Amino acid sequence: MSDRALRAGVALVALAGVAVAGYLTYVHYQPEALICTAGGGCETVQESSYAELLGIPVALFGLLAYVAVLALVVWDSELARTLAAAIALSAVGFAVYLITLQAFVIDAWCVWCLVNDLVIVPLLAVLTVWRVRRTTA
Amino acid sequence: MPPKPRKPPSRKESGNRNLLIAAGAAAAVVLVLVGASLLLRGGDSNGGGGGSGEVTGIQEASTLLDGLPQERAVLGSPKAKVTLIQFEDLQCPICRRYQAEGFPGVVESYVRPGKVKLRMVGMAFLGPDSEKALLYTLAAGEQGKLWQFQDALYANQGDENSGWVTDALLEKIAKGLGLDWAKLKKDADGAVTLQQANSMADEANQRQIQGTPTFYVQVGDQQPYQVNPSSFEPSEFASILDDALSS
Repeated sequence: MSDRALRAGVALVALAGVAVAGYLTYVHYQPEALICTAGGGCETVQESSYAELLGIPVALFGLLAYVAVLALVVWDSELARTLAAAIALSAVGFAVYLITLQAFVIDAWCVWCLVNDLVIVPLLAVLTVWRVRRTTA
Repeated sequence: MPPKPRKPPSRKESGNRNLLIAAGAAAAVVLVLVGASLLLRGGDSNGGGGGSGEVTGIQEASTLLDGLPQERAVLGSPKAKVTLIQFEDLQCPICRRYQAEGFPGVVESYVRPGKVKLRMVGMAFLGPDSEKALLYTLAAGEQGKLWQFQDALYANQGDENSGWVTDALLEKIAKGLGLDWAKLKKDADGAVTLQQANSMADEANQRQIQGTPTFYVQVGDQQPYQVNPSSFEPSEFASILDDALSS
């Protein structure tokens, strides 16, 4: 795959991440946007104490991270690629933690959180790491 | 002898080195974030005393609702022209939020003056705790305190399907409200209560209710129509109910 295609891929995945994280951030501040549907989960995850870090929604951290990755894609230097990979790999680590919390502590699932943690974040990590490995000295 | 010039790193070596730096930075960031998440988190905003043994909201339920006419799942004057129908699941945290934020205003401004009556349609789609909560709430209606029981149960709502609807909790609420606990238990298992619950489930299915809370308004004997408040602010319901009253 060409670097141009990889770069476009990173940008697209980061945009998808902005959309999902943006929605989760919006929902955090507008809880009436949710309705309980069959299958439960409701807002248990969003309302749990793990949904915020120092009073800031975790989703907002995700949103800022995706925006940063987009900016780094535009910048596109060797350092920018390394930073983008660092952000993506951090997101993978934190996603593993969040999935573990949902499975074993909160005992409820947030569907859009899982879309982010199981699809978007790993994809972003793969693409950004791929780009770093192709870095020209 | 002059030192040999170092070869510049190959593309692969450069890439691998940068990858190591990225991985190292990521590990440090994850450690900080996970540490912060575990050490600095606040309390859960889900639910109340279901698991802690303490029961709250009894006094508030009584203050808000005692003295209002109620006939099982209907609260308010039977002559009230407008009915606000609430499809709800007693495990639903959003229903709990409506109960705390919107419900008291509706009761004080519209039910108590006799303008509107409320009809509860209990659903139990979130799990086993929902079913037990609904049956006992309906059974409280046999003793004329369905709405106080429902209100107090919401105040003590626990995490979904965590087993929070215990006999101990139900007994404390019942006795706090002055209900006959033995009769409540018997009625909760009885045919009348079960038939009511099934009837409510049928109504929810007929209307294809997808989630809770869902609100309908009925004016007189006309067909009920769905309303979608954009928030649980009292003003939101005031607007909806004033429209219905003026129609």
